[in-house]
Amino acid sequence: MNGIWLLQILAVVRLEIKKTFLSRRSLWVYLLAFAPVIIFFVRSINEPRQRDRLAEIAAKHPVSTQALNSIKEETTYEQVVEKLGEPYLKNFRTGRRGPGPEHEFGFVRYTDGETDVVLHFFDKKVVRISKSQVDNLPRSQTVFATSFQFYFLRLAVFFGCVGVFVNLFRGEMLDKSLHFYLLTPMRREVLLAGKYLAGLLATVFIFTSSTALQWWAMLRQFDQSVLADFFAGDGGSQFWTYLGVTSLACIAYGSIFLTVGLIFRNPIIPAAVVLLWEGINPFLPAALKKISVIYYLQSICPVVASKESNLPALVKFLISPTQLVTPLFAVICIIIVTLIMLVLAGYFARRMEINYSID
Amino acid sequence: MNESSNNLIILDNVSRFYGEVLGINRVTLSLKPGITSLVGPNGAGKTTLMNLITGLIRPSRGRISVLGVSPSEPQKLFRLVGYATQFDSFPKGLSGYQFIYSFLKLSGYKPSKCKEMTLSVIEQVGLSDVAQRKVAAYSKGMRQRIRLAQAIAHDPRVIVLDEPLNGLDPLVRAETIALFRRYADEGRHVIISSHVMHEVDMISDEVVFISGGYVIAEGQIQNVRNEIKQERPLQMLVRCKKPAALASRAFEQDNVVEARILTEGDAVLIKTRDVDQFCKSLNYLAMEGIDIESMAPIDDDANSVYEYLIGDEEASK
Repeated sequence: MNGIWLLQILAVVRLEIKKTFLSRRSLWVYLLAFAPVIIFFVRSINEPRQRDRLAEIAAKHPVSTQALNSIKEETTYEQVVEKLGEPYLKNFRTGRRGPGPEHEFGFVRYTDGETDVVLHFFDKKVVRISKSQVDNLPRSQTVFATSFQFYFLRLAVFFGCVGVFVNLFRGEMLDKSLHFYLLTPMRREVLLAGKYLAGLLATVFIFTSSTALQWWAMLRQFDQSVLADFFAGDGGSQFWTYLGVTSLACIAYGSIFLTVGLIFRNPIIPAAVVLLWEGINPFLPAALKKISVIYYLQSICPVVASKESNLPALVKFLISPTQLVTPLFAVICIIIVTLIMLVLAGYFARRMEINYSID
Repeated sequence: MNESSNNLIILDNVSRFYGEVLGINRVTLSLKPGITSLVGPNGAGKTTLMNLITGLIRPSRGRISVLGVSPSEPQKLFRLVGYATQFDSFPKGLSGYQFIYSFLKLSGYKPSKCKEMTLSVIEQVGLSDVAQRKVAAYSKGMRQRIRLAQAIAHDPRVIVLDEPLNGLDPLVRAETIALFRRYADEGRHVIISSHVMHEVDMISDEVVFISGGYVIAEGQIQNVRNEIKQERPLQMLVRCKKPAALASRAFEQDNVVEARILTEGDAVLIKTRDVDQFCKSLNYLAMEGIDIESMAPIDDDANSVYEYLIGDEEASK
């Protein structure tokens, strides 16, 4: 690389990074990035309390896990009490559902200390069973994986990159200050590289910080011994993989939205199209699935997202089986997509004109 | 590209359209070092021409060369060119000092050199006292000066200035004009656009008259004036003791198309198609006893030429 290019890139990065971190436009990027940290933190306070509460109840109303699992729909209340004993909580009432005779309905709750089971009755027969488990490390990992793949990557990093990278050029067009850069003896590609790097540094810093904090919030409820075992196993590599996936998401989405900001006067529409495409990825045929960033990012994620039965049907549908590729291949594909986007952005940067009246 | 064209700004049959709207059309110019003023009404195409020369927009047709460099190569062009645009917006949060310093850093200068050049140019435009103040807090005149500072900070050979005297107070205006003159005398190109005709007249070596996207005349004011003398005879005001006699004798000349005695003062307004011939004949009249006190052309300045060339076109629209 030419020495002067390096100086120029550094000068652009210095100017841009301040704007990206401190502008009012970035506030919602911080909000998107750090909202899951708050959720995981609240969860880390709530889950141990729930665990203690269930353990206390289980001590007073002991029930075996095997007996709990033996209860099926259509079992009568009497059969349930015979197998499990008296519930720790019972709530029945009678009433009408529309015209017709009165019915008795309600629920009872049992716990083995690990799982809180709610049996819903209608006319003294079990009609629905819902279970909620107290948190443990494997479950926390799955919850994190689900949140990471279905909220953090698809929405937080995605929209964060829209906000940061689209504005690198388009924002300055709207502010009518882009000519400041274009009056300098700098190749447009160098300007592009500087702006992209600045956006990348900012987004990678913000989103990897968020990932690390989420990870910390997720794990803070567990004992040192549990954590020591976890990190002695694959905990460390999972952590670094999540940081790597976050960075790769910024790299790929950043290049896409930098290009979008250069090509389109109103980048919201193409951003919505990309969001839709990434969103419907699980519904697409195998060949089309591969034309998306999220497919390759998911391939690198260390933990498979949750398929638990008590998740909403839509989420279960979204995470329907996908033939993933190897992480190495996924990384190569993401880098190729990024390079293609940056070459395209370079072409449009060279052709870019200052015409504020139109913009 | 030969050596002479490496010292010229050349526009060869350049057109620029904004969709179906004409920016400029078929402009062919060859600008030499010195002060060249672009003159024309609003929307004539002056800024378009400047943006084309500096590569901020690309021509729809034609070719542009600035001292042998294409405007599509900003990395080379802006080593030679400084451009003070009319865009009154700046990167947010920068002080005047930071604005110039950042510009020089982006140009690839080392930090110590940037500092030295920044302090020097800020002093040159008289903003040393307010250099640490945010540009957003500057007055219109200060913003104009900081833009000028940006254009000249890297000591370019070509300085393009869009309405550079707008918003300047008379003292700064005079200093700025002197600065342009100095640059021109050093053999640099100074291209300015202006609406203030008496200043154009005072500072320009060459003038380019633009109207409706077309260059309608170019060159030195006197030459342009001579070119339109058939349609617009030159007006001379001659003061003498015997205005009636002068008017009578002047009217005998073939080149004189009108001689009018002015009621106030002893003066005759002469309209002539050949000012050299008229001046010679005036010498003979003086020898015949008509005491000529003074003689001065009254419509060979930029303002008159502008009105003759553009005023009529505007009026006919």
